[in-house]
Amino acid sequence: MKKLFLVLAILAIVASGAFATAQAEVKPTTLTVLWFNDANESDVFSATIADYLAANPNVKVDLQVVAFADYEQKLKMMISGGEAPDVARVTTNMMASLVDTFEPIDSYVADINAVKAQFMPAMLAYTLDREGHMLAYPTESTANGMLINKTAFDNAGIDVAAVSQNWTWSQWAEIMKTVIAANPTMKYGLAVDFTPHRFSTIMYQFGGHFLNADQTAMDFNNEGTINAIKFFKEMHDQNLIPKSVWLGSENPAELFQAGIVACHIGGSWNINTYNKNVKDFEWTVVRCPVGTQRSSVPGGKFVASFKASPNKVEAMKLMAAFSDKAHNEAYCLGTFNLPSRLDAQIQYPTNTEQFSVFAKDLADTPAYTASEWKSPSLAKVTTTIKEQIVQVLLGNITAEQAVKNVDEFGAQFF
Amino acid sequence: MKIKAHGNFHQVLAPALFLLPNILVFSIFIIIPALQGLAMSLTEQGIFTKPKFVGLKNFSSLFKDKVFLTTVSNTLVYCLFTVALIVLVSLCLALLLSKNTIKAEKGFRAVFYIPSLLSMIAVGIAWRFILGDEMGIVNYLLRTFGGQGVHWLTSANLAMGSIIAVSVWASSGYYMVILIAGLQAIPTDLYEAATIDGASTTRTFWSITLPLLKSSLLVVLVLATISSFKAYELVSVMTKGGPGYATKFIVQQVYQVAFEEDRMGYASAMSIVLMLIIGAFTLLQFKLTGKEQDYE
Repeated sequence: MKKLFLVLAILAIVASGAFATAQAEVKPTTLTVLWFNDANESDVFSATIADYLAANPNVKVDLQVVAFADYEQKLKMMISGGEAPDVARVTTNMMASLVDTFEPIDSYVADINAVKAQFMPAMLAYTLDREGHMLAYPTESTANGMLINKTAFDNAGIDVAAVSQNWTWSQWAEIMKTVIAANPTMKYGLAVDFTPHRFSTIMYQFGGHFLNADQTAMDFNNEGTINAIKFFKEMHDQNLIPKSVWLGSENPAELFQAGIVACHIGGSWNINTYNKNVKDFEWTVVRCPVGTQRSSVPGGKFVASFKASPNKVEAMKLMAAFSDKAHNEAYCLGTFNLPSRLDAQIQYPTNTEQFSVFAKDLADTPAYTASEWKSPSLAKVTTTIKEQIVQVLLGNITAEQAVKNVDEFGAQFF
Repeated sequence: MKIKAHGNFHQVLAPALFLLPNILVFSIFIIIPALQGLAMSLTEQGIFTKPKFVGLKNFSSLFKDKVFLTTVSNTLVYCLFTVALIVLVSLCLALLLSKNTIKAEKGFRAVFYIPSLLSMIAVGIAWRFILGDEMGIVNYLLRTFGGQGVHWLTSANLAMGSIIAVSVWASSGYYMVILIAGLQAIPTDLYEAATIDGASTTRTFWSITLPLLKSSLLVVLVLATISSFKAYELVSVMTKGGPGYATKFIVQQVYQVAFEEDRMGYASAMSIVLMLIIGAFTLLQFKLTGKEQDYE
């Protein structure tokens, strides 16, 4: 009896030791997540993954929210300094400039082709490297489009829903003169964000492009681009576009919200911003005017892990969970963004009409626009492109000289 | 022998030990990165790519780079006007607020000093709201009273002027404090002697105040010069270097080339040139103001 008791006691001790060992093997992991906000994305991200964290108590998230202005530099310094975060939110531009630092998802999922098939082709294209490895999960898709002050058009007696169905840029310019005349506090027709990405909306509509057909060289010097730059300057000279944005860095969204400009070419995320901030007038989204073709610029945000991230396995699990159908729908609903998944079904409480206009513009967008913006080499030329356009607006050089300068400068990166 | 060893400790080892922490910090955070920057300037490399030695190619390219030369010129103009105005304004403030001739002198000192405690980012955002073309308070007031808006930040000349004015506003209080300390260190009996001799206020200023304030002025000159060469945040927030290249300085170009164009070697070469320019200006200032006079 004593022996049996002894054996049982030993077994109990061994079993408890084994249990303790098993317990010890599930190490707590703290994932560093680097994030930036367009509006409320970090809050919605935390709320969206709360159920995942509850189900995985060994995983904690250290969410570091950085101002967008400092974000890319901080992320690059963290990676080059060997302190890469486990997960980071990245833009299409960052997808291009950080392409060699991402940890491919392929080996962390059972069927990568099934994962790829879940996302919109344009969004997926941004995440693929030269060998076709998937480097990030698309979280939301964005598009550039035209947001307008509907009240101002109504005051001018213009049925903007009707005229905007097929309007050209020259028709738009004429209509704007009427709108400005009918609204004493309105001074300008259009504000365009001070970025090459937003300018490229007009450039693509005029049939222009940055790169050659297979994205292996700069080809900014083309008729469509030159016409777009000339049109852009003409609109500035006619005071239909405020000089204070591209020459003085004033915030175009603030000008729109203050009722100073009638239209704003901006990203689809502005729906969220204007929904909250615009109280003094009615606003909506209309189809962009046509130059020689219709176009938006596809874009989006992604989550990715890095080759140098310390907790890649847990990071991949977290990203996979965050990107599944239910979580992606919840995130896009909470942030008022277009989803990146093909199977997402979102009923926005408001602004469904505005989202559908962005989606229509996106559907008419030529495929090469996404191919150009995922070029890592183009990402290195964009500031120079912006500076050369400003030189044209200042009257220091012609549009022809600007595109030539850009091509010469950009050649070193291809 | 014992005495000699003791002497060595006090004369050589003890000072070295006291200096060691500073030397270590200075080496780790200044000397070593500077040497790394120098080495990087002789290479072609990106943030994530391996360096390729190119000798002095980056430096020779710099002198053909029109944008870089424009930023050097802009930086020199900004530095010249900012430093001159900072010295003038902070000296005037120090003279006004160091003699107990104004009521609430300490309050005024605090008012002028507070801007220097603010982050330049905050200062830039605030002044952009004040000077903005469309949304700025100044233009709003001008328009309200029947005037026209002024292109404070969208005209090349006015943008540079605005940046200089805001820099002087934000920094003068800090330098004022240094100069007040310098003024209070001047022995009062010199002024009393000058008064007995019938010297005028102007004569006293040129013959006593200014010469004895020279060391403080040198500190102000050197610190303001170095600070103005490194101006980054204010410009980034207020004008983003624009319109065009009008307010783009060397440091903005270094940032753009390093982090947006991913040309770390070339950006390092720019930084080395900036370091040499600052070094040359500092030496020149020491040379011009370095001869001390003893009035004791």
